[in-house]
Amino acid sequence: MATYLEFIQQNEERDGVRFSWNVWPSSRLEATRMVVPLACLLTPLKERLDLPPVQYEPVLCSRPTCKAVLNPLCQVDYRAKLWACNFCFQRNQFPPAYAGISEVNQPAELMPQFSTIEYIVQRGPQTPLIFLYVVDTCLEEEDLQALKESLQMSLSLLPPDALVGLITFGRMVQVHELSCEGISKSYVFRGTKDLTAKQIQDMLGLSRPAVPMQQGRPLQTPDQPVISSRFLQPVHKIDMNLTDLLGELQRDPWPVTQGKRPLRSTGVALSIAVGLLEGTFPNTGARIMLFTGGPPTQGPGMVVGDELKTPIRSWHDIEKDNARFMKKATKHYETLAHRSAANGHCIDIYACALDQTGLLEMKCCANLTGGHMVMGDSFNTSLFKQTFQRVFSKGYNGEFRMAFGANLDVKTSRELKIAGAIGPCISLNAKGPCVSENELGIGGTSQWKICSLDPSTTLAIYFEVVNQHNAPIPQGGRGAVQFVTHYQHSSTQKRIRVTTIARNWADAQTQLQHIEAAFDQEAAAVLMARLGVYRAESEEGPDVLRWLDRQLIRLCQKFGQYNKDDPNSFRLSESFSLYPQFIFHLRRSPFLQVFNNSPDESSYYRHHFARQDLTQSLIMIQPILYAYSFHGPPEPVLLDSSSILPDRILLMDTFFQIVIYLGETIAQWQKAGYQDMPEYENFKHLLQAPLDDAQEILQTRFPMPRYIHTEHGGSQARFLLSKVNPSQTHNNLYAWGQESGAPILTDDVSLQVFMDHLKKLAVSSAS
Amino acid sequence: MAESYVKPGNQERGWNDPPQFSYGLQAQAGGSRRTPLTRAPPGPPSAPADPAAPPPRALGPPPQGSAGAAPRAEGRPSAAGPEQEECSVSADTVLAPLRAALDSCRAAVQKQVCNDIGRRLTVLEDAWAQGKLSAPVRKRMNLLVQELQQQHWDAADEIHRSLMVDHVNEVSQWMVGVKRLIAETRDLPTGQTDGSADTEPAAEPVTEPPTEPEQEEP
Repeated sequence: MATYLEFIQQNEERDGVRFSWNVWPSSRLEATRMVVPLACLLTPLKERLDLPPVQYEPVLCSRPTCKAVLNPLCQVDYRAKLWACNFCFQRNQFPPAYAGISEVNQPAELMPQFSTIEYIVQRGPQTPLIFLYVVDTCLEEEDLQALKESLQMSLSLLPPDALVGLITFGRMVQVHELSCEGISKSYVFRGTKDLTAKQIQDMLGLSRPAVPMQQGRPLQTPDQPVISSRFLQPVHKIDMNLTDLLGELQRDPWPVTQGKRPLRSTGVALSIAVGLLEGTFPNTGARIMLFTGGPPTQGPGMVVGDELKTPIRSWHDIEKDNARFMKKATKHYETLAHRSAANGHCIDIYACALDQTGLLEMKCCANLTGGHMVMGDSFNTSLFKQTFQRVFSKGYNGEFRMAFGANLDVKTSRELKIAGAIGPCISLNAKGPCVSENELGIGGTSQWKICSLDPSTTLAIYFEVVNQHNAPIPQGGRGAVQFVTHYQHSSTQKRIRVTTIARNWADAQTQLQHIEAAFDQEAAAVLMARLGVYRAESEEGPDVLRWLDRQLIRLCQKFGQYNKDDPNSFRLSESFSLYPQFIFHLRRSPFLQVFNNSPDESSYYRHHFARQDLTQSLIMIQPILYAYSFHGPPEPVLLDSSSILPDRILLMDTFFQIVIYLGETIAQWQKAGYQDMPEYENFKHLLQAPLDDAQEILQTRFPMPRYIHTEHGGSQARFLLSKVNPSQTHNNLYAWGQESGAPILTDDVSLQVFMDHLKKLAVSSAS
Repeated sequence: MAESYVKPGNQERGWNDPPQFSYGLQAQAGGSRRTPLTRAPPGPPSAPADPAAPPPRALGPPPQGSAGAAPRAEGRPSAAGPEQEECSVSADTVLAPLRAALDSCRAAVQKQVCNDIGRRLTVLEDAWAQGKLSAPVRKRMNLLVQELQQQHWDAADEIHRSLMVDHVNEVSQWMVGVKRLIAETRDLPTGQTDGSADTEPAAEPVTEPPTEPEQEEP
């Protein structure tokens, strides 16, 4: 039999799903005693090279409250042409097109290997993708020039039939009319006054009487010249004029006096962008792309005043309730984010500045709509330029890696209910029998909307077992979950991806070892971390740490093997052995600790943590450390100060940073120039190897990470030293008896001390 | 087919700015990959430092040897700057076919669009004449024109994209004209272009999704 590790990996590759538990406790009571909730990480559009979509529509269960999709778990009566829904047990007739099916002539969706299947749906008009650039002109000349070039470049990367529009802002907001006639016109708005959607549409001349808004269709017919086309034009028609228009953009002309910030009307600019798309293309895939070089300083959504002597809010100000504009600004952007999400449009934020730009207040725009958030120092950096290019990158099949307007519908067996989801989505408030009253994350619904997603976008979905204690193991011995994702493919096709999975139930009182063996500690760590980060965004920091600690202790009490009050006897089985270590690093991570990070940085880190897949999320929680030396091939080593040895080169990947660190001896050899001597060619290769590996990561990661090349004693070595477990510090250095590894000057608790305390608490009869 | 190089990032403006990869390298990154470095090390979380690790030694030379012990690192493009070699293509070699293509468009395409393209070709000509274009740009423009003449639209378009990504500051003003020219000639009914269409049947039907050109390795 395959091991659980193989099983878990196969499932992830095939279905894009990782469950915390792969054998499910059969009663509500037992499930709550498992501490880690029954939950999964779902990558709805996971890239599958071997999954050609089928060209027909899915067959649905006829019960109106169910509408589950026919799948390999359904019982089929081939003679009577009937199938039984595996969720509600309704018996359904096959549609006429299925008259020819038999045991040997099955449609794809009944074959076990198609637990995940994708349908291309032919109905409805296809609308082109829409890209609306919202560009800050209060930039330094060098930055503006670089940004203009990047935007011009992007016209070559967009799909040729995509619609594109341009709004620029500084003290005023300009909506540019795009026409091929050579004369450029624009509508100018004041940046201080918030306008309703109606006002914006009136002023832009978008309101048209007596045209009913239809879902999924632009207000556009071929024989009717369209008003919106003044602002949104196909790239292939407008590319030359838009290139010129972009090329001619000037810095905001309003003078900025000494000691002042430029007046930047980000709030109104975004409001107009949202209103423009809302009025012209509701319910079709669109990206608003905001490029900004500083904080909003006037009008609705302002984050800081224009006096440079008043700095932008810090964590300290926020704790002291001293962030004047924060609440009001946040509310402004939240309203915009919700409106945008309701229309299926996403908002990207590309913020490049050395100081904070207000990501804390604006984060909801990207978080609720599935938009990107990119933070850099300047638009004239490779970090921004390449990250931006990768927004338009293509997958193996030559198709853009972006999809729009997804609607994720989750269906469960009767013994399960849905508690909520955490990810770049909003609730669609779909109530129903499978929705739990207890919420984890965004709950109270069985459907969520994800306005923009790519093949790595990953949601955490939490469940609740509702089967009563002492009730028998549910019928069939297996529980099932179905994920149905409707979305607009980048080719503008409407598609539906359906994934149906099942897992065995087990009685936790008699079969605990089965449940235990099927624990996925990596998925569990990420799922708990998402809950923690979600709480940290809404509650106080220290409480979250206490909650995480309590959960960890309870988990160890439940699944550890020990004699009461004897910490030395404590053991965890293999399937749990790494879990405490993940939690240890999570506690130290920037997702839960705000020390040393600005509010914007925390928002940025958390934004990415709440959407990446399991592998990337684990890298964020516990960075990866590789060692290169003459003692053998490169190997992963413990993220521990003892791994820092003089004759090693270390490569650390924290997702946001790639660090290459030369050990003391290596650094000295390099200074002595051994790499240039032919007889030491192997040293040259040793130096090169981590560079090559780093390059591979850099080539594909989104967003582009920062790249740090440092050495023993270098000031930037702090990036490595602050991440490794401080097993050797100035306090215990001599206790180790020998000097190996690098002592870290910190009073932080080490993993060893953490584990000792954990064991003590877990075995204590007092708790 | 596209250039492959890695340039250092802009350390002046960006703190720890990562290196910049050429379009060719980025496009290729989606292809075959080695197992990424994602595995966590095994081992007990509470293990102390490995006592068997060699003690740090006083500084001697590194062990001698040729490439034998070198871990990985085979066949990677070197981290050098863009190709510096000279390019002896004349402006006319590139511009004459472009102008010819433009002429063949005039019947079918709006006058204003044609004039606009023409204006950009003049900008290209001036930039070329004034020596403002680097060797890689001139070389790749020559390739682009060859692909255009053979009606390899996708290949020509791909070269245009790689030039926009890698050399946007040199080409942004006029490249969009070339881009449009590729698109317009491609849409012309068969027979209006003078290229030799040996390898491809003719202009592809518009309804078919464009196929990506094969990545030939640098």
